[in-house]
Amino acid sequence: MNKYYKCVKNTFRMLVILCIAFVISLIVEKFLGASTLIPAIMALAIFMISRITDGFLYGIIASVLSVLLLNFAFMLPYFAFNFSISENIISAVIMLVITIMTSTLTTQLKWQEKIRTESEKEKMRGNLLRAVSHDLRTPLTAIYGSGSTIMENYKQLSEEQLLQLAKGICTDSQWLMRMVENILSITRIDNEGVKITKTSTVLEELIDSVLIRFKKTYPDQKIIVDIPQEFISIPMDAVLIEQVLVNILENAMQHATGMTEIKLSVYVMGDKAVFEIKDNGCGIEKERLKGLFKDYFEIKEGPIDNQKKSMGIGLAVCASIIKAHNGVITASNRKEGGCCFRFALDMERNEDE
Amino acid sequence: MNSYKILMIEDEENICNFMKMTFETNGYQILFANTGKNGMTMFSSHHPNLLILDLGLPDVDGLEIIKEIRQKSEVPIIVLSARTDEKDKVEALDLGANDYVTKPFGTSELLARVRATLRNCRIQEGGVGTREKFCLYDMVIQYEARKVSIAGKEVRLTQTEYNIVEVLALHAGKVLTYAEIVKKVWGYSDSGSVKKLQVNMANIRKKFGEKPGEYHYILNELGVGYRMNDDKW
Repeated sequence: MNKYYKCVKNTFRMLVILCIAFVISLIVEKFLGASTLIPAIMALAIFMISRITDGFLYGIIASVLSVLLLNFAFMLPYFAFNFSISENIISAVIMLVITIMTSTLTTQLKWQEKIRTESEKEKMRGNLLRAVSHDLRTPLTAIYGSGSTIMENYKQLSEEQLLQLAKGICTDSQWLMRMVENILSITRIDNEGVKITKTSTVLEELIDSVLIRFKKTYPDQKIIVDIPQEFISIPMDAVLIEQVLVNILENAMQHATGMTEIKLSVYVMGDKAVFEIKDNGCGIEKERLKGLFKDYFEIKEGPIDNQKKSMGIGLAVCASIIKAHNGVITASNRKEGGCCFRFALDMERNEDE
Repeated sequence: MNSYKILMIEDEENICNFMKMTFETNGYQILFANTGKNGMTMFSSHHPNLLILDLGLPDVDGLEIIKEIRQKSEVPIIVLSARTDEKDKVEALDLGANDYVTKPFGTSELLARVRATLRNCRIQEGGVGTREKFCLYDMVIQYEARKVSIAGKEVRLTQTEYNIVEVLALHAGKVLTYAEIVKKVWGYSDSGSVKKLQVNMANIRKKFGEKPGEYHYILNELGVGYRMNDDKW
């Protein structure tokens, strides 16, 4: 279906440009009598066609068509084909060569562009991998250490010590799980470009799942929820958006010093649903605010401060998830203190029957 | 000590190890199969009371195993799946799996699901008619009178809303997919029926007086379906 659409679009573009060029040539011929200009106009048209269509095919078709057009309309004898005059044949061949070369060139340019973005993505992925593996090492070391301590010394250890070691293993593995969820979220986006499958998700149910997941990790922190009373359904990848909200909430728990209150509110503005998470903690330093969402992917080689970066991945994941939903996520400091994260999602167009 | 026999089809030896410990200390008898093929043979020779099935097996697709088993047996099946595959979960449930547990999971969660599933099957075997009412916290559903009350006060539900609540209550503890509920309540399904269900659910919750984050009667399984809470875990 998509391929068919593309084909129609390219053909349409090609024909429109050719027609325009033809009309201009007719006018030039009629009013200026400058038939020397016409091949130049045609060459320009073909150049443009090969620029804005995909692949070689349309450029070549256009060049053949333009040669025929030139021969038919603008070369003696007018409005009839004549391939017997060698001058006509030579000019036709030259046109063909020019057009094929421009087509090749522009196609190559597009190709190179693609390769460049591809390699940029690859680089980002490399950075992510490096940073992640570094982050994973600490909890893994702790788990491995605790496990082997239990295995080797279980006779000497008191029950209390055993429990403490086991507890450490649990906490660290939970941290690892959260990390893995985040990495999985990214691969889910990267898998097929930036394509995600959106399903209509009921806002209340989404918020409910987020709060329940959050409560599992932080049972004591209350969150003030403010969402519209009416039934709201938003197309989204619910697993990913849930991840975004959980990440932002956890970020507030870990980094907003002095925070006592988190507020999660959603309101409708035009055809968008705006999500806001506010806290009254210490806010974010100005220098960090700028690169907050991309720090993680741009870490240079070398030692990374584990504590500070560990949540960096969370926010970077948020940014790429929201981007895949055609939105932008922003962070700002509030006048009253604390910070505010905000993003918007497109609502359902209208009530579908 | 109970006498339930559980068969677990799982290829990760580490997971089997701690499963063995947990289930045995809780009085279950547990058997392991490390491939789908072994699982099928062990299933037919040991007749377990419950099957725990990992969807990602090395030799066969877990969904195929559900299909094959459902052709000859109604033994409850709990599926282990990764969090990110709602499609797999829905498909497994629609093929006849009774429940799923998302990896990574805690042992207490899995044990609770096993208990709920086993109890559910006993009730189903006993027949629906034998139950008159369903109690959960302060909510009481009287099937005969088609009435729901919370803390002694009757909740005024529409016919459709009541039907939804009843279907979920009859399968308390089990996730029902959107498609399953729609089929049971409306009898047919079209493109808008999931939305119709979601709107009804929102109204039910409003009438129950619940806010997001505090739903404790009917639980969400985002992107999959709903589950009536099962108090007695």
